[in-house]
Amino acid sequence: MAKALRMKLLPPLALTLLLLGLFVFVPMLSAFEYSIRTPATGGYGWTHYHWAISEEDFFHYIFRSTWLSGVTVLITLLILVPTLVWIHLSDSKIRGIIDGLSLLPLVIPVVAFAVGAQISFPEFVQNTVLELPFLYFVLALPYAYRSLDIGLNSIPLKTLSEAARSAGANWLRTIISVIIPVIRGSVMATIALTFALSLGEYTLTVLLHWDTFPTWVTYVAQDNILGAIAISMMSLIIPFIILTAVTLVIPERNMQGRK
Amino acid sequence: MSSKSLSLRNISKRFGTVNALDNFNLEVGVGELVALLGPSGCGKTTALRVVAGLEQQDNGLVMVSGKDISDMPAHQRNMGMVFQAYSLFPNLTVEENVAFGLHMRKVNKHLRLKKARELLELVGLDSHNKRFTHQLSGGQQQRVALARALAFEPEILLLDEPLSALDAQVRVNLREEIRRLQLSLGTTTLFVTHDQEEAMAVSDRVGVMNHGVLEQIDSPDTLYNKPSSTFVASFVGTMNRIPTQISNGMVEIFGIKVVALRRGQESGNVYALVRPESIDVSRVAGAGHAKIITRSFMGASSLIICQTPDGSVIQALMPSHYSGDLHPGEEVNLHVTLNEVLVSNV
Repeated sequence: MAKALRMKLLPPLALTLLLLGLFVFVPMLSAFEYSIRTPATGGYGWTHYHWAISEEDFFHYIFRSTWLSGVTVLITLLILVPTLVWIHLSDSKIRGIIDGLSLLPLVIPVVAFAVGAQISFPEFVQNTVLELPFLYFVLALPYAYRSLDIGLNSIPLKTLSEAARSAGANWLRTIISVIIPVIRGSVMATIALTFALSLGEYTLTVLLHWDTFPTWVTYVAQDNILGAIAISMMSLIIPFIILTAVTLVIPERNMQGRK
Repeated sequence: MSSKSLSLRNISKRFGTVNALDNFNLEVGVGELVALLGPSGCGKTTALRVVAGLEQQDNGLVMVSGKDISDMPAHQRNMGMVFQAYSLFPNLTVEENVAFGLHMRKVNKHLRLKKARELLELVGLDSHNKRFTHQLSGGQQQRVALARALAFEPEILLLDEPLSALDAQVRVNLREEIRRLQLSLGTTTLFVTHDQEEAMAVSDRVGVMNHGVLEQIDSPDTLYNKPSSTFVASFVGTMNRIPTQISNGMVEIFGIKVVALRRGQESGNVYALVRPESIDVSRVAGAGHAKIITRSFMGASSLIICQTPDGSVIQALMPSHYSGDLHPGEEVNLHVTLNEVLVSNV
């Protein structure tokens, strides 16, 4: 019965995946094809990639955007994990309110948000690029919140945390040693979403007059559009490398067991 | 094992308008196993959670060997706890779960894994040490939880209905194992359960709770045979409530005068509280006329349910070899086989 149902669902599922794949990969492949064109000779080559790497600001902005995204991920985890654990363990109705608040960044225009941040942040914060991770955190909040929320909903959080505490773990150890490893998938998804969103954030950064990798790409695109596309293609590799590194640092336990 | 005594003094705890614990007092001696028994919502789990530090009492003191730990956070109390729900950490192997408490106490890896294997051997799971928890049955998971609770040599062991999610046979085996371990390690233990058979089988003393108050705490024998209140009498075991009259401290049951142990009132209508095993069913002439409704064979004994002419339903528990020739529909006589009886007001 279940097998028959699976067989029935297989064709529409395969079609959906195929369409999704085309939707994601066709533009990427097209961009790649465009980036290796060499109009001077009419053929293909790595000219624009060589040009991008030889640009002195390339590594500067790549590095800046990467560490800003890293700080954003850190802020997100430090704020959201304990808060969500507390919300899930408390019986109060505050959860509904915070659920709603976490969606606000989706409905508040970035322009209004940027202006608000400029007004409300003290001057010494406005003067440092470190204001960006705090604002990126707010922009990533709807996705990061939901990702962690799903993870915490899927485990017996109360029992596990009480078991850890009664065995001698304080709250910090309970979160680090028990809760985060148990919801590892959700934490990884949160890291990926927050990192990718921060790395590619453009509007807010421009409005606050900061330069990061996306704003620099826009700048260089004015003179060399093919070079800018080559840079964008290379920038796709960065989140991949970072997230692979994070996955290796937080290894998944073989929960299938070792009999 | 550094076992200690436990003392709860005048503990009160409210949840909104519900009084979960009302001036609750309890003393548990060193190495003693005390069970808290009671209906749902009587406050037994709240009492245990207050001891563990997972719930903060509104008033009163929690003392361990005379030391006040009322405000101490849960992780500093050094109490092992086994929960009703499976509470093993799914990201850790069996031995890592057992060693978790020692890890938190910064015991080095070699020593804590050695200790974990010793405990796993004690609960018969030493060959499962590398497995993950989802590869274990419910009974095995609770054994690991027990080993984890004992691994760091807790001052008090707290058991919060640890058997209620298990099959009947596993429950019986595991409760015996818990008692065996508790006796061999001498750990002071507080055991919360709603299953009276379980409480009676493993405990030195059983406390019966009702509405946040400890109604009676005594040995299982005393609790069963000399209940201090009608609630305890009705809650622990099966009790017949036989309508009769009290006069001069005596009640008449099935034509026989019996001393009334507790006199709510001096005269008038009362209920005599009689255990099924204190009622004899026979064809011998007497004043306790009744008709057999059903007879249930239960191995060594049989439960015979009768109805008296006034409509009262009486349960009698008799050895099967004495009651084998009694059949439903048969007219019989009932007799009480005791000299004293507890009575309650109508």
